[in-house]
Amino acid sequence: MSSPPIVTLLLSLKVALWATAIIFPPGVLLGLLLARRDFRGKSMIETITALPLVLPPTAVGYLLLTLLARDGPLGERTLGFDLDLLFTWKGAALASSLMALPLVARTARVAFEEVDRRLEGVARTLGLGPVRTFVEITLPLARRGLLAAALLGFSRALGEFGATVIVAGNIPGRTQTLALGIFSEMQIGHDRQALLLVGIAVALAFATIFTVETLLRRRTRPA
Amino acid sequence: MSRGLEIDISLLLDRFTLSVRWQTAESSLGIFGPSGAGKTTILETLAGLRAAARGVIRVDGRTWLDSARGIRLPPERRGIGYVPQDLLLFPHRDVMGNLRSGRRRAERAGRARIEPRKVLEVLELADLAGRDVRTLSGGERRRVALGRALCSGPELLLLDEPLANLDLALRRRILPYLFRVREEFAMPTLHVSHDATEIKALCREVMVLAGGRTMAHGPPDEIFATPSIVPMTWAEGFENVVRGMVTAVSDSVVTVDLEPGVSITVAAGGAGIDRAAAGREAAPAVGSEAILAVRAEELILATQTPTALSAQNILAGTIRDIREARPEDGHAGQLLVGVAVGRLPAPLFASITTEARRRLGLREGMPVTIVCKAHSFRILATR
Repeated sequence: MSSPPIVTLLLSLKVALWATAIIFPPGVLLGLLLARRDFRGKSMIETITALPLVLPPTAVGYLLLTLLARDGPLGERTLGFDLDLLFTWKGAALASSLMALPLVARTARVAFEEVDRRLEGVARTLGLGPVRTFVEITLPLARRGLLAAALLGFSRALGEFGATVIVAGNIPGRTQTLALGIFSEMQIGHDRQALLLVGIAVALAFATIFTVETLLRRRTRPA
Repeated sequence: MSRGLEIDISLLLDRFTLSVRWQTAESSLGIFGPSGAGKTTILETLAGLRAAARGVIRVDGRTWLDSARGIRLPPERRGIGYVPQDLLLFPHRDVMGNLRSGRRRAERAGRARIEPRKVLEVLELADLAGRDVRTLSGGERRRVALGRALCSGPELLLLDEPLANLDLALRRRILPYLFRVREEFAMPTLHVSHDATEIKALCREVMVLAGGRTMAHGPPDEIFATPSIVPMTWAEGFENVVRGMVTAVSDSVVTVDLEPGVSITVAAGGAGIDRAAAGREAAPAVGSEAILAVRAEELILATQTPTALSAQNILAGTIRDIREARPEDGHAGQLLVGVAVGRLPAPLFASITTEARRRLGLREGMPVTIVCKAHSFRILATR
C-alpha cells in the first residue's frame, strides 16, 4: 500500500518544516549558551546535546516511544490526557526534531562563536543594552550561520528514518515520509515508485542547497 | 568635564597587575607608553568592558565604578565614545548605519548638541553615507569610527591609537580631524598613543604608563622633557612639537611666531607644509595657530652664530641638559641636547653624536645657536 508521491512529498515537507520550527529556537538558545557561557556541567550538556548524533536513531525513537507510551512518563495515564503524538505526523515531527538537535545546536554555536565579541562591546559603549546588542549586532552577524543551522536541521529532518518509523510508524498518507516511502516501495518491489521518490528527494535536496547558496551569495554582495 | 576625571583602578592581567591612579581636571588627556604597557586596558576599563577591574572611576562627578560600594555602571550607561584601535565597524551596516548605531542614546539623553549632520560635515563623511564599510580605505574607516562614537552623544571620547599604522600622509590627513572634533564639539578626550609627537600635539595633560604603572603625569611638554621619560620616546625618534601664530604667508614660506622675537620659517609646499594637513584651506591663514614638528636629528647646534647660510632658522638658546641614550635603547653614541629658547614652555631637543659634543665642548648652561632648514619643519595642523 502506498499513497500518491505528491502526498508523500507534502507530508515530508510538513514534518520537516515543523521539526525545524520545533527545534530551531531551543537549538539556537543551546548554541548561544554553549558559545557564550561557562558554567558547571557544561560538558555534560554538550554531551547530551550530541547524543542523537551518535546513538542509533532507532534507540532515540525507542526512548521517545517509551516516554510517550500509555504508561510512560508522558503517557495518557500519567498526564491524564493524550498528547496524541504516537503514530501521527506530529510524532514524526517530534522524532525528527530530536534527531536534528545536534546539528542545529552545533551550527548555531559556531555561528555565535564567530561573532567578534568586541563588536558587542563597542555596541554597549554606544548605549545599546545587552538585549538590543544581541538583536541588533549579534543576531544579524550570526544570521548566515543560523540560516545554515535551520537548513541543516531541515535536511536532517527530511531524511529521518529510524526514530520516525518507531514513533510514528509507516502509515501511507499519514506518517509515511519520503524516507519511509522509499523503503516501503523497495520492500514490495515497486522499483519505479521507489525511484520516483528518490528523484523527488534528490530534487528537494538540490533545491534546498541551491536556495542556501543563492541566499548567501546575495548577502555577501556589497550594498 | 568640569570636575574632571578621577581613576584609581587595579586589574590583574596575565603579564602584570595594572594599577593606575590619576586625577585631573584637564579635558584633553593622553596616555603614553610603549606597547604592552596596559594603555588599551585602561580604555577598556573606562568603557566598562573589563568586568574584573576594581577601584574607583569618576567622570564629571558621576561614579562609574566603585567596587567597594558595589557600583559598576554597565558600558551602555557610561556615556562613552570608544574608538578602538582596530575600529570595529559593524560589518553588516553601511556607513550611515554605523553612524546611527548610538543615535538612540544621544536622543534619549537629549544630548542633541551633537548633530549627526554636523558630524558628517566635520569629518567629511557625507559622500560615504551609503557605502559598505568593508570597501572603505583606512582613513575613511577611522573617520567613520570616530563619527559613530560622536553621534552617540558621549561625554568622554576614548581614542585608542587613532593614528597608528597609518602612513605619514594619512596621519597628516586624520590629525586635523581630531583637532576639529575637539574644537567643534568641545569633547573631553582621552587619547592613547605610543607616539609622543601625537600626544604633544593633541593633549594638554599626559600620563606615562609602563608595565601597568603610572610613571608620571602632567603637561606633555614638561613630561616628555623629564630625564626618566625621554628614553621612552627614543624608539620612535624624538620630535619637537611647537605652537605659534602664523604671521606671514608667501609663495615659498610660512612664518610662524612661537613668541615675540622667536619666529620659525617653514617652507611652503613640498615636505615642509602639507596642504592636506592644514585642512580644506589651501594655505594657513595669517593669524591662525600652527602646530609645527621638527625631528631632533634635523636640528644643528653651533657654538658661534653662523652667517651666510641657506638655512633660514637660526635660534639663540642655552643648553639646559644633555642626555645620553642608554645602550639598551639601541641608540648608543647618540645624545639629546635640550636647548632652552626664549621663554618657550619646553626646550628644543637636538640629537647629536657624542663625537660632536666632544668636538664642540658642549656642556650645560652654554649658549648655543640652533640652525634648521625651512624644509625640516612640518606643519602638523593649523586652526
